[in-house]
Amino acid sequence: MMVRMRFCLILLSISSALAQDAGATRADWPHYGGTQFSWRYSALDQINTSTVKALTPVWMFQTGDYAENLQATPIVVDGVMYLITARARVFALDAATGREIWRYQYPEPPRNVPGFVGNRGVAVGDGKVFFGTKDNYMVAVDQKTGQLAWRVNVDDPRQCGCNITAAPLVVKDKVIVGGTGGDGAHRGYITAFNTRNGRLAWRWYVIPGPGEKGHDTWKGDSWKFGGGSPWLTGSFDPALNLVYWGTGNAASDFFDGDRVIAGADKGKDVNLYTASVVALDADTGKLRWHYQEVPDDLWDYDSAYEVLLIDRQIRGRMRQILVHMNKSGLTSVLDRATGEFLGTFSVPEVRTWISGVTEDGKLVGRNEPQLGKTLTICPSAAGAKSWNSMAYSPRTGFLYVPVNEICNDITSNDRAPDEGRGYMNGEFPMKLAPGRTSYSHVDAWDPVTGKRAWSVPYKYVLLASMLATAGDLVFTGNPEGEFFALNAKSGNKLWSYQTGAGNRGSPVSYAVNGRQYIANPTGWPVAVVGALLQSLFPDQDWRSGSTLVVFALPEGSR
Amino acid sequence: MLALSCSAQNIDDVVEHGEQVFAKSCATGYCHGVKGGAGGAPRLVGRHFDQAYISNVVTRGLPDTGMPSFAAKLSRPDLAAVIAYVATLNGITNPNIGLPDASATIPTGPALTGEAARGAQLFRDAVRGFGRCSTCHEVGGLGISVAPPIAKVPASVADLKALATPNVKTGTMGGESMPVLVLSEGKQSAVFYDLTSVPPVQRNADPGSVKFTNGSNWRHSSVIAAYNDSELAAILTYMRAIIQP
Repeated sequence: MMVRMRFCLILLSISSALAQDAGATRADWPHYGGTQFSWRYSALDQINTSTVKALTPVWMFQTGDYAENLQATPIVVDGVMYLITARARVFALDAATGREIWRYQYPEPPRNVPGFVGNRGVAVGDGKVFFGTKDNYMVAVDQKTGQLAWRVNVDDPRQCGCNITAAPLVVKDKVIVGGTGGDGAHRGYITAFNTRNGRLAWRWYVIPGPGEKGHDTWKGDSWKFGGGSPWLTGSFDPALNLVYWGTGNAASDFFDGDRVIAGADKGKDVNLYTASVVALDADTGKLRWHYQEVPDDLWDYDSAYEVLLIDRQIRGRMRQILVHMNKSGLTSVLDRATGEFLGTFSVPEVRTWISGVTEDGKLVGRNEPQLGKTLTICPSAAGAKSWNSMAYSPRTGFLYVPVNEICNDITSNDRAPDEGRGYMNGEFPMKLAPGRTSYSHVDAWDPVTGKRAWSVPYKYVLLASMLATAGDLVFTGNPEGEFFALNAKSGNKLWSYQTGAGNRGSPVSYAVNGRQYIANPTGWPVAVVGALLQSLFPDQDWRSGSTLVVFALPEGSR
Repeated sequence: MLALSCSAQNIDDVVEHGEQVFAKSCATGYCHGVKGGAGGAPRLVGRHFDQAYISNVVTRGLPDTGMPSFAAKLSRPDLAAVIAYVATLNGITNPNIGLPDASATIPTGPALTGEAARGAQLFRDAVRGFGRCSTCHEVGGLGISVAPPIAKVPASVADLKALATPNVKTGTMGGESMPVLVLSEGKQSAVFYDLTSVPPVQRNADPGSVKFTNGSNWRHSSVIAAYNDSELAAILTYMRAIIQP
């Protein structure tokens, strides 16, 4: 059961607080999460509950890169869209027509370079387009021409087993990026480079080194290989000058005998700062505060997901809060200035990893994987939600979340770490949660009350990001290829379009010359979570692809 | 590592060993599933792969996918065993258990012990972040080749500290001077490493916008200052073991 929040509901009214003005996108879609507040919410309302039935494709762009699906969030600035494919082909497109303005193709890394093939987006700022690569470089190309400006290696992937699939985040004069490797014998970090020249600005290690606060939450030398990689994209509050990021799970994932000191109190911080939300000084990368969502994570429950910065009335007082979902679906509400815990709620309907959470956020009834045993744990390591983002509408006050009801049978082992190699220490085949017939649902949650307002079931899995708009619409897509719009207030389906390939990307909205567009990346994945979950549906052949489909209202109808 | 003598092994032993190698190296993380079932990476059971194909993919990897080359990651007997095992998953009951073509595998060099092994670890010590040798040098298949390949190992720690770097120049761009390693000066662009700080940044500039002059204030002794003399001596021992004159 969900934990009851310690505060009562006060209905949202119009507010002058900063996030309320800065959280929504307008003509541009400048950052991965829309704005640096990561709502994935557009203030545009030309396409709305009344007009959406006329929504129609106006252009498509085939990237030609079919190595993986199109995961990237398109970035739109001043009528130009910047799009990256799995193999780091970067395109600048006329956002009204799809006409190619320039393209840059990153050289193919040698075959012996390990790492995930996939790219979740570029960042744009300081006249440049920034992206990470399979061979673990941060790259900057000129925003106008696509010419290479600089590139810098973050770590040798052959040694660290890590690379960059996340979109970077531009914060003032810096470009900040996390990396993969959190399920390997690796010590994760966030790195910031100067946008102008690529020089290192700062690096923050998720796991504190000797002499640093929190180092003693690790057993022996386990801190060197303890994972925690922050493999997605953070947020930024300019008023507080704080960068927020979620960190990955501790490694090894399913066995803690090598990393947790015997007798450690799991009601407190263990293996810092894995499975946590952290606030870093944007200029120095110094840790300001942290909140660990899963002390001693034994279930591969990353906290690497998006961080939503919103302002809401709580107990009569407007507060600057932060909403963050752990992979388990446990969602924290914190004061984003101080990290103070304000409440939590859990989104999956089937949950066996804990029995509950106390009023002050402590986990109760931990159901921990054990050596030599197989335990059914829900939700699975694929997540109550995967890396695809939720959205938030300030008009409804709801979070929009695609939730999967999958469990896994975890069998742990105690293999020793080997630098840069896999260090999950377990097998975890997936299955439908017991007692259910449908695998997923799209939900609307009020983060202040911790209550679900509506839920729409879906028979397979949902792995695409949500988009919310001021037209009171919520958009997302499914693996069968259907891209659809729901009424943000009720969940009623108002429109849908068969895009021809499965949806695993992140739709955005923007405007050019007063016309609102909805852009949706399509193409079903062939690797990692998509394939893990597709193995549950052997008779389904969801189509791969790499096409951006862009919708608008017909010219005459506006 | 399994010591294999060709005359003494039989197919069952090799396939059984291959199953163990598979469990440890392939059915891991978000990659292949247990016993070749579907995981994050595709199913391998019953795909009608022939053994030549399996051998090729295992040793060379599959471009544009997450499937790496295992040539340098596994010993040749381990490679042979895992290839044979995956062959049995595809209905090949009598797989070839011979060692894969040596040309497909990357030589891993001599096994390092003692001081050389310590030097190898120090050379690429992740705890040092960007302050390690491998930030700029690729040796033994690890590290970033910012500097040209090391052809001659300094005779002593004193020689290493006194190392001259005449190829480092001074670049001047937009009124700013910086130590640089020039990669190319073409008509389209000038490409160079900016050595102002670690890690070095590869930068591209319009040829007219940057000027290079000989000499710089950059010193190799400064960037290795985080290592003590004993550590530098071990690193030299490592390099002597692996770099042939």
